[in-house]
Amino acid sequence: MKSSTLAKKIGFYAMIIIVWQGLDSADIWPDNIFPSPVDVVEDLAYGVADASLFYGIGTSLLRLIIGLSMAIAGGLVLGIFMARVETVNQTIGSLVLGLQSIPSIAWVPLAILWFGLTDTGIIFVVVIGAIFAVTINTYTGVKNINPSYIEAARNMGAKEGQLITSILIPAAFPFIISGFKQGWAFAWRGVIGAELLFSFLGLGFLLNVGRQLNDVSQVIAIMLVIMGIGILVDGVVFKKIEDKVMTRWGLR
Amino acid sequence: MGKLESRNIEKYFIHDGKPLKTLDGIDLNVEDGEFVCIVGPSGCGKTTFLRIAAGLEKPDDGQILLDNQPLNNTGPDRIMVFQEGALFPWLNVQDNVEYGLKIAGIPKEKRNQISHRYLDMMQLTQFATSYTYQLSTGMKQRVAIARALVMEPDVLLMDEPFAALDAQTRDLLLVEMQLIWQKTKKTIIFVTHNVAEAVMLGTRVLVFTHRPGRIKKEFKIDYKRPRISEDENLLPYQQKILAELRPEVKK
Repeated sequence: MKSSTLAKKIGFYAMIIIVWQGLDSADIWPDNIFPSPVDVVEDLAYGVADASLFYGIGTSLLRLIIGLSMAIAGGLVLGIFMARVETVNQTIGSLVLGLQSIPSIAWVPLAILWFGLTDTGIIFVVVIGAIFAVTINTYTGVKNINPSYIEAARNMGAKEGQLITSILIPAAFPFIISGFKQGWAFAWRGVIGAELLFSFLGLGFLLNVGRQLNDVSQVIAIMLVIMGIGILVDGVVFKKIEDKVMTRWGLR
Repeated sequence: MGKLESRNIEKYFIHDGKPLKTLDGIDLNVEDGEFVCIVGPSGCGKTTFLRIAAGLEKPDDGQILLDNQPLNNTGPDRIMVFQEGALFPWLNVQDNVEYGLKIAGIPKEKRNQISHRYLDMMQLTQFATSYTYQLSTGMKQRVAIARALVMEPDVLLMDEPFAALDAQTRDLLLVEMQLIWQKTKKTIIFVTHNVAEAVMLGTRVLVFTHRPGRIKKEFKIDYKRPRISEDENLLPYQQKILAELRPEVKK
């Protein structure tokens, strides 16, 4: 990042904090409705001190990782099948498009009925929330592969199974990586949303506790943590992978 | 009986809902170690013929025989070099060259041994770990040729591999291609629209007619090698071929 960009960003966030503190000092709203930045930081420090915050982050991330891995594996298989077998595309493909339009939070009641208030239920919501984004992007990626890659590979003796691992997945990778990125975003929303309703550990649960205790500063603190993790994964992890892929695949 | 035989190959494409004849009975006998060049106007079906010989497309009639065996699929005995190279951008140069060997299950050590020989032959050794986006068009075509050669195919099928190159790089590769052919004694079918290129490379040059593609005439080029593009003695060959080709291009 250029230093001038960085300076602008720091200035912007500093301003938000100053305005926030100013509004708090003006005493327009009572403190239990509108906490000061200091209250929020204190709350975060408290969560760090008794490790409840780390436990919450760890629980949510673990569910996310399990669910997202399953969604990625399933989405890759489904997407490749849809791209390679027209009948699968015409049948399952149309269903995938329909299912994708259901917000993952809408699966929560079903998950509770099927799995009870368990980890499995939350992971189910995460998987179902992320899998279709991975599927559709994989499908698009495989459909857009330069046909001469496939012809060259077949010509050199690749069988269909070898074609999938040595050509289809790597050639479609620029698309697949955006599928992962979208899948991660849906999974992250899904896990927090599900935890809110399941009220069974994790960051979503901590949000809910904050609400029940009327502790606005805890609610805001947890929201900041959720945002922070989002920025970290999007802006650091995925950005690095994307930059590398785009350069190597000659797309930039 | 030749190395690769084409018997009465016919091919139709559907154009505006109607079948359009693209290849009209191609009979061709390519001897072992021959370097056959096919020239023709664009749309004459020369690339289609090559793709059929590679087994990437099925003819509507006729058959292709390799060592007298009829073929109906693609396989590493006939390796195609594509116009744009079709290198895999996610693999580095060496891994691209070794791709077919890896698919065939050849162990890593042996693969390295083979690929190094051909990387060396194509003067690519110092680029072994480069990725395709770091290479010039000429370099990419060298890699594509190396990738085809490591397969040690019976027949090498080349589809206008030098069409996208600048003149200097092309002249260089045209000479190198002759040296490689002399060294490896491969049977090569080489499709181009460039008559000078065909005369430099071919032991035999076939002129295709405009659609539907037929072999209009063939020319033997008996001339010492390596032939260079400035050699004026090649001009009469070019003129004779152009005289046959020109009416087809105008059609």
